[in-house]
Amino acid sequence: MTLINAPTGIFRKDQDRLLIRWNDGSVSEYAFRFLRSSCPCAVCVNEWTGEKMLDDSRISQDIQPARLVSVGRYAMAIHWNDGHKTGIYSYDYLKKIDPQRNQAPAG
Amino acid sequence: MAGITEKQVLDALRVVQDPDLHRDIVDLEFVKNLRIEGGAVKFDVQLTTPACPVKEDLKAQAHQAVNAIPGVTSVEVNMTAQVTRSASAKKTDLLKDVRHVIAVASGKGGVGKSTATANLAVALAQTGAQVGVLDADIYGPSTSMMFKVREAPVLDDNQKLHPVVVNGIKVVSMAMFADEEKPVIWRGPMVSQMIQNFVHNVVWGQLDYLLIDMPPGTGDVQLTLTQSAPLSGGVIVTTPQDVSVLDAKKGLKMFQKVSVPVLGIIENMSYFICDNCEKKHYIFRQGGGRRISDSLGLPFLGEIPLEPDVAVGGDSGVPIVEKNPDSASAKAYRDISGAIAAQLSIMSASQTGVLGDFDYSWDTLPVEKTA
Repeated sequence: MTLINAPTGIFRKDQDRLLIRWNDGSVSEYAFRFLRSSCPCAVCVNEWTGEKMLDDSRISQDIQPARLVSVGRYAMAIHWNDGHKTGIYSYDYLKKIDPQRNQAPAG
Repeated sequence: MAGITEKQVLDALRVVQDPDLHRDIVDLEFVKNLRIEGGAVKFDVQLTTPACPVKEDLKAQAHQAVNAIPGVTSVEVNMTAQVTRSASAKKTDLLKDVRHVIAVASGKGGVGKSTATANLAVALAQTGAQVGVLDADIYGPSTSMMFKVREAPVLDDNQKLHPVVVNGIKVVSMAMFADEEKPVIWRGPMVSQMIQNFVHNVVWGQLDYLLIDMPPGTGDVQLTLTQSAPLSGGVIVTTPQDVSVLDAKKGLKMFQKVSVPVLGIIENMSYFICDNCEKKHYIFRQGGGRRISDSLGLPFLGEIPLEPDVAVGGDSGVPIVEKNPDSASAKAYRDISGAIAAQLSIMSASQTGVLGDFDYSWDTLPVEKTA
C-alpha cells in the first residue's frame, strides 16, 4: 500500500516559519508569508482559471497562523491572524509547494 | 553486585511475540512502567485490546522470559490494555469510543452496497465485535429495511440521538427520519448539514467498527462525509461489469483525494449458483473486481455470489449471514469481514506516529527545539 502523506508533527520553527515533519521522514519548512500567499482557497485562487486572485503585496508583514486545524485525514485548515480562514491545505499540496524540495531536486 | 539492567529485561522480553502483529512486545512498546529493585522486576504489558485472546499466554511467556535472567528473584507482570485507535481517530466527542470508522462506497448505485454493508456488519458482530451502522445514503436509505427497524432513535435531553439496537448492532438511518415511501429531495447544503448531524450528534458509545453506508456516487455528500468523519478506511463495492469497474475507480479516486486509505475491493454478484447444479455461472464477466484490484494495487477482499436468498434476506430484514449462515454468500461475507479487520490492523500498525487530529492555536503550537 502506498504511503499517504501525513504529518507526524507540526511545529513553530520561529516567529515566521512553520515546520512539518512527515511520515516519510522528510521535513518541510514554510515561511508564513509564503504559506499565506499559497492559500489554495477559492477566494485566493480563481476556481475556473486557476488564476491567483490574492495580491501578495497586501499580505501583512507580521502574518501568522492563529489556528491550525486538521481536516479529515488529508489536510489542515489554516486560520490566519488577518482573519482569513477559508484555506484548506492538503498534505499533498503542502508537500508539492515545499520550497526546499523545489529548490534542490537532487535529493 | 552487578544489578539487573533495564536492557537485560527488555532483551529477554523480545522473545515474546504478539501473534497478530508478528512483532515482539518490546518493539511494539507494550512494556511499560519497568521497575527493577534488586532482584525484583516489575512491569506492565499494555495490550491493544482488553479482549486479547492470548493475554494469559503472553503474560506467562513474559514472566518466564524475565525469570530466566540470572539474578532475578521475583517477577511481577501486570497486564493492562489501551485500545489503539486508527491515526485518523478524531477527538470528535461522540465518536471518541469508536475504534474504526469504515466507509462502504460504490461508484454508482445498484451494486448491492447496502446489502453488503448490512451483511458485513452482522459478520463482524458475529466475531464478538461491537458494530454500528450509519446509513448515510440520504437519498435512498435502505438500511432500516435490511435490519427491519421500525422505531425511531431516541432523542435525549441533550438533543443527542441514540441508535436503535437490532440484534446487537447499533443502527441509525436517514429512513428513521423520513417517510419510507417518499424520496428525499434535498439540496446540497442541507445534505451536508444532515450528514454532520449524523456524524456528530449520535451517541454511538463503545464500538469496534462503525460502518457507513455511503450514498452512491462521488459528489458533495461523499466529500462532506470524508471531511467530517474520521475515516479509518474505505471499502469499495463493485460488480463484475466493466462499467461498474469504471465507476469503482472513481470511488477510489475520491478516497485518494482525501487520503482515506482504501482497504480493498469487494465484488458483488460475481456468479450465480443455481438450484440444480453446483456450477458457478458467471453471468456478468468474470474477475472484474480482481482486475481493478490488481491494476490499482489494492487488496481484493473477495467475491459475493448472486443468490436469491440474499435479496430475500435484505427485504425481510434478516441479512443472509444471519438467516442462512451456511450459504456461499454468508461464508463470503465472513471471509471479507475478516479481511477488512486484518487490513485495519495492518494499517493502524503502520500508521503509528502520524498526527491524527489536531487543533492548534498559535500558543499551543509546539515549538521546534532541535536546530
